[in-house]
Amino acid sequence: MPNSGRRLEIGPTDNTSDQRTPRNRLRLIPEIARESFAPYVPQRGLSRQNDWDLTRIAPDLPRAEGVAIEVSGKLQNERGTPISNAMLEIWNANHFGRYRHIEDHSNIPLDEHFLGTGRVFTDSEGNYTFWTISPGAYLARPDIGRWRPKHIHISVSGGGSRLITQLYFPDEPNNASDPMAILMGDDFERNIGKPYETPHIDVDSGLNFDIVVGGRNAVYFE
Amino acid sequence: MKANTQANLLLPTNEDTVGPYFPINFSDPLLEDLSQFESGITAQPEGVPIILKGRLIDRYGELANGTVVEFWQANAKGVYRSPKHEGNPDIDPWFWGYGRLRTESGDFEFKTIMPGPCADRAPNITITLFSDGISRIVTQIFFADQTGNASDPLLQSLSREDQAKLSARHEGQSDCGSKIYTIDIVMAGENEIPFFDDLIREGE
Ligand SMILES: [Fe+2]
Repeated sequence: MPNSGRRLEIGPTDNTSDQRTPRNRLRLIPEIARESFAPYVPQRGLSRQNDWDLTRIAPDLPRAEGVAIEVSGKLQNERGTPISNAMLEIWNANHFGRYRHIEDHSNIPLDEHFLGTGRVFTDSEGNYTFWTISPGAYLARPDIGRWRPKHIHISVSGGGSRLITQLYFPDEPNNASDPMAILMGDDFERNIGKPYETPHIDVDSGLNFDIVVGGRNAVYFE
Repeated sequence: MKANTQANLLLPTNEDTVGPYFPINFSDPLLEDLSQFESGITAQPEGVPIILKGRLIDRYGELANGTVVEFWQANAKGVYRSPKHEGNPDIDPWFWGYGRLRTESGDFEFKTIMPGPCADRAPNITITLFSDGISRIVTQIFFADQTGNASDPLLQSLSREDQAKLSARHEGQSDCGSKIYTIDIVMAGENEIPFFDDLIREGE
């Protein structure tokens, strides 16, 4: 019975979402073909170095402008089993809301001390930690005045887990009008970090973000 | 979206769009060419080297720039490098089967080897797309000139028209002798290719 999977929704006020979202329902996968759809990401590659402090371009350089934060949490599956040794790739805009990405052509200032990309690995209990600068919100649709709320991009891969998500900040005025947040509805709450105090480390505050990998890949979590 | 009714299960984190700025400095050449192992090593994977040339096309016929494309496939003997097949003598030590690239323009070239047929399945490559405006979507592509397509359970669950959209065509040879295959991955609109629902709710 083809054509009876989920229907993907289009993010309101998001032009790219209109251009790229498949209009047909997703097709169901015959049972016998299901396993072939779950990639197993190998623990290898040139890019596998730890780079946990995004607040500086390098340890010998000054700290970037803005509010330094720690982000930490646990990576687990739906049954609460920790996922160890997975790679988190992290990227976020600087304090002013600009990416140091060659395709970010906005005229928001760059920060000479901020790169904005990093990667960390989960420990044997599935825990991860990184430091970064709290990103600025940026105007995504100047024509209608819609902003992207403050957010940090996180890509998780390793073994049977593969997920790309965004971490949002509590009580941000632009959260409510974000197209992807609107599509998530009440579930959006799960993508908002929980603040904590960081009295003994060299950052201003912390944000807890536990990540639960759902869906197709549970087969390799044993 | 279906609620998770299993009381003892955690609710999953929402997948979200990759956005336009997936860092180019996360690129890894080892993941863009699976037909080699690592430079300076006297070893290479078994099988026929191929180049998959794809175009990612949006609803208006434009290329979907800045998209991250991931690949997952069996080795030449049809074995996936996953824990389920650990110890299988047909594992190729020089082949992992997982690839990733980010295309700036929306077209890509992925170097690999022709996957072997696996049990009842025709040779195929699972393709995952992460693109601005959408969360992860997945499909599987096949090769028009390989055997087994007529009995592949996934292909055969689709209409003839949709089957054709997932078939890469052999179009010539590269300078170094790799077979070139081409495919248009139309993400939305009139010639939209089939994408698949790979989410499983535990307990179902
Ligand atoms: Fe962003």
